[in-house]
Amino acid sequence: MSAEPDKNFRLEQACASDDSIQQVHAQLRNAKPVKAGHYPFLPLGLLGLMCTAIFLSSTYLVHYSIRFDPLVYNDHASREAPGALKVAVATPRDLGKRVFSNTCITCHQANGMGVPGAFPPLAGSDWAQGPEERVIRIVLLGLNGPIKVSGTDFNSAMAPLGSVLKDDQIAHALTYVRSEWGNKAPEVKPETVTKIRAELAGRTAPWTAEELLKIGN
Amino acid sequence: MKNGLILFFGVFLALALSWAGLLLAAQQQLGSLGQFKDPVEETINPQPMSGVAHEGLLVYQDLGCVTCHTQQVRREGFGADLARKWGTRGGYARDYIRDQTVLFGSSRLGPDLRNAGSADLHAGVDAEYFYRLLYAPQSVAPGTNMPAYPFLFDVHPTAGRQPSDYAVKITGKAAPPAGYEVVPTARARELVAYLLSLKDTYDYPIEKSRNAPAETPKEGGH
Amino acid sequence: MTDSAHNDRTEQMEIDASAKWPVLVFFASALFWLLLGGALQLIAAIQLHTPAFLSDCAWFTHGRIAPAAQNALVYGWGMNAAFAFGLWLMARLSATTLRHGGWLFVAAKFWNLGITLGVLGILGGYSTSFELLEMPRFVTLILLAAYALIGAWAVTTFSIRNTENVFASQWYLFGAAFWFPWLYAVAQLMLFHTPVRGVLQPIVNAWYVHGLYGLWFIPIALAAAYYFLPKILGKPVSNYYFAPRAFWWLVVTTAFAGGSRLIGAPVPVWIPTVGTVANFLLLVPVVIIALNLFGTFAGRYRALGGSVTLRFMLVSMVGFILASVCNFALSLHAVAEIAQFTLFAVLRDWLVFYACFSTAMFGAAYFILPRLTEREWRSPALVRAHVSATILGVVLLTVGLAAAGWQQGQLLNNGTVAFGEITRAMTFWFAWQSVVLGLLLIGHLAFLINFIWIASPINSRGTAHAEFRNPPDLSLPEAAPEGHA
Repeated sequence: MSAEPDKNFRLEQACASDDSIQQVHAQLRNAKPVKAGHYPFLPLGLLGLMCTAIFLSSTYLVHYSIRFDPLVYNDHASREAPGALKVAVATPRDLGKRVFSNTCITCHQANGMGVPGAFPPLAGSDWAQGPEERVIRIVLLGLNGPIKVSGTDFNSAMAPLGSVLKDDQIAHALTYVRSEWGNKAPEVKPETVTKIRAELAGRTAPWTAEELLKIGN
Repeated sequence: MKNGLILFFGVFLALALSWAGLLLAAQQQLGSLGQFKDPVEETINPQPMSGVAHEGLLVYQDLGCVTCHTQQVRREGFGADLARKWGTRGGYARDYIRDQTVLFGSSRLGPDLRNAGSADLHAGVDAEYFYRLLYAPQSVAPGTNMPAYPFLFDVHPTAGRQPSDYAVKITGKAAPPAGYEVVPTARARELVAYLLSLKDTYDYPIEKSRNAPAETPKEGGH
Repeated sequence: MTDSAHNDRTEQMEIDASAKWPVLVFFASALFWLLLGGALQLIAAIQLHTPAFLSDCAWFTHGRIAPAAQNALVYGWGMNAAFAFGLWLMARLSATTLRHGGWLFVAAKFWNLGITLGVLGILGGYSTSFELLEMPRFVTLILLAAYALIGAWAVTTFSIRNTENVFASQWYLFGAAFWFPWLYAVAQLMLFHTPVRGVLQPIVNAWYVHGLYGLWFIPIALAAAYYFLPKILGKPVSNYYFAPRAFWWLVVTTAFAGGSRLIGAPVPVWIPTVGTVANFLLLVPVVIIALNLFGTFAGRYRALGGSVTLRFMLVSMVGFILASVCNFALSLHAVAEIAQFTLFAVLRDWLVFYACFSTAMFGAAYFILPRLTEREWRSPALVRAHVSATILGVVLLTVGLAAAGWQQGQLLNNGTVAFGEITRAMTFWFAWQSVVLGLLLIGHLAFLINFIWIASPINSRGTAHAEFRNPPDLSLPEAAPEGHA
């Protein structure tokens, strides 16, 4: 038992020697807490607590670890195994949009309206939605001289792109142009471009509107 | 545990288990997480930050901004991070793979900064805004307790020299006296470049599909 | 009986004499950092409601002062006090003198040199920005070298022990002595030397911070509680049979609990989940330890009247329970959603470091220092001031940070509340925090004055010589009489 408590707090007196502390506790460690005639609740209670904790923890772990997936950061995500990865495939329109954005956009603009007085519009254009033989030729070899697009006159030069763009790029770009901004014209296939390019082998001069109007119907 | 050796092994094993189970396992999972190439747009994300922005990251660390600002956007439905326009989506681990120092932060005495440079989320936030914020926070964010960083700026008289192109226009109480201009130092410019580089705009399709919230079961019970 | 008691007392005096100078040096260093770190912490707290305070100078900008204060307190006060207490207790329980204490002086010098360079480095702008690892890289080796000396001393003292039995305090001390250098070295390696990439960095940081609080500071506090309660109350630890299970369970689960600091973060969700699970499981050892410690106190609360150490130990035990509850609460997603990133999270760590650990060290100091210096405490008034300031401070700051954090969290989660509004609402609580930190600092000053009087020749004539009784032997609790008729 502690001695007279020193209300002045000048000194803490010890009430047990270190040696006896260690000896007594070593004995206590090996002695189960048994009171004769009493059923020891505490060990059972603690065991119950441990089991409950482990059970709840396991349930929680299974429920919220989402397969230990390193790419899941949402504890409420689906626990089902992810299916095969659906690889997004770029449609011809998407690819054509990319070509348009790299090449055609400078003159014909992102909204396809061109520059009044300088570059014809593609949006709502009768030429763009016209026969594909004409537009393919324009892209391959360029166009010079006067041209009437959707009722407006233009007179400038479009550079040839046949040596810059591949057949499928030309086809996809045209497909994009012919289906964007309200345009409704059928797509252009890369094979068609290849065929026309072969037909035109040898010609280097840009087209004129007059010549083109004779081609196609 | 009379035997000191048993105590030693137990103690060692306890820590070793957690190192292996937490850190080693995480390293195995995330150590080789790479950039992602979008199949349609053919862009590669996340982009590494520019050299100036990287210098700015060092200034960010130097000044201890992480003390009050986090850089982790919580997902939809967990807190109001998206409602506060701190991001367009919850953060993914892939967003951070090109950051030399990942500064999640643990205290939001100030707003989250992970998308501070995103013009889509924060209209009107540009370099000028950040310079004003750093020089005189109260002038652009009234009521804030963010400290001012006057030592990041050089306030000097304009007499006898050409006015600087970089001078910050500050009006109101914090404005410099007449005939003086406030010019950000190199450190301020680097820091602002870093802040402007903070935007996680791309939504990775794999993470997006795996993190979609589970549909509630149609029939009751788990 | 008298002979053994006499021998005990003599032996203890020898041990105390051998430990005197190293332990005093560590305590003195600890107190220096407690006051310096406390002052820096107070400045940082004031800056939260008065941002213009000292903000013009880069050295005192909030982003540098706050981590500088934290590191000064944790590594300066916390580690030095733990070294002082740990070395003394290890020597006592191993019943062997502390040999070649001169090397411990070297260790203390290098440790303090490292912390000084580290704190100055942070203030000068070389912070690494990782929580509790902000001290610049060049400090790491100095600290590890100093620690190696100290750790080697603790382990050597343990291995040459003259006692057959190993008491609970020794398990905790031994464990802590092993865990800290490994936690620190691995964290330094994985963050700075051969840095891991991306979000692995905050994962390593969380593992380290939780390990530092849970596998160093808490075990040291528990070592103190397990020793001083039977020592002063003269009664064995209640239900000691379960104590080993509590030790192992606590240790294994704490090591995994760091992930709970990353709830909602862009890390694989199994990491915070494992952390939450570990915190659930931690309830079991906390219950057992509470049974051990509060059970020992049961029926003896009157002894608090005359014992400063017991008062501090009780605060420390309550702090331990509160810290565990706070930790458990913050690992529940529903609570974390609101209280993460707020002052509530600050409370969680402050409860461990101050309410549990620092108070235990104060209690230990009031017991140990008279035995080392063979003098009494000079001013009971200052002792009372220290105790009252600490208890009042702990209560006020716990309540304040909890209320503030909860309010802050709810405002943060309301997207319509502008950030300036949140700051305005919190200004009251920031001021509250500053006042309470100032109060705690006053208590520490009171302690410092008493320490100077007891430990140094300053004004020593006013300090009386201490007379110690021979402590009696502890006896086994009485077995109930046989129940048979």
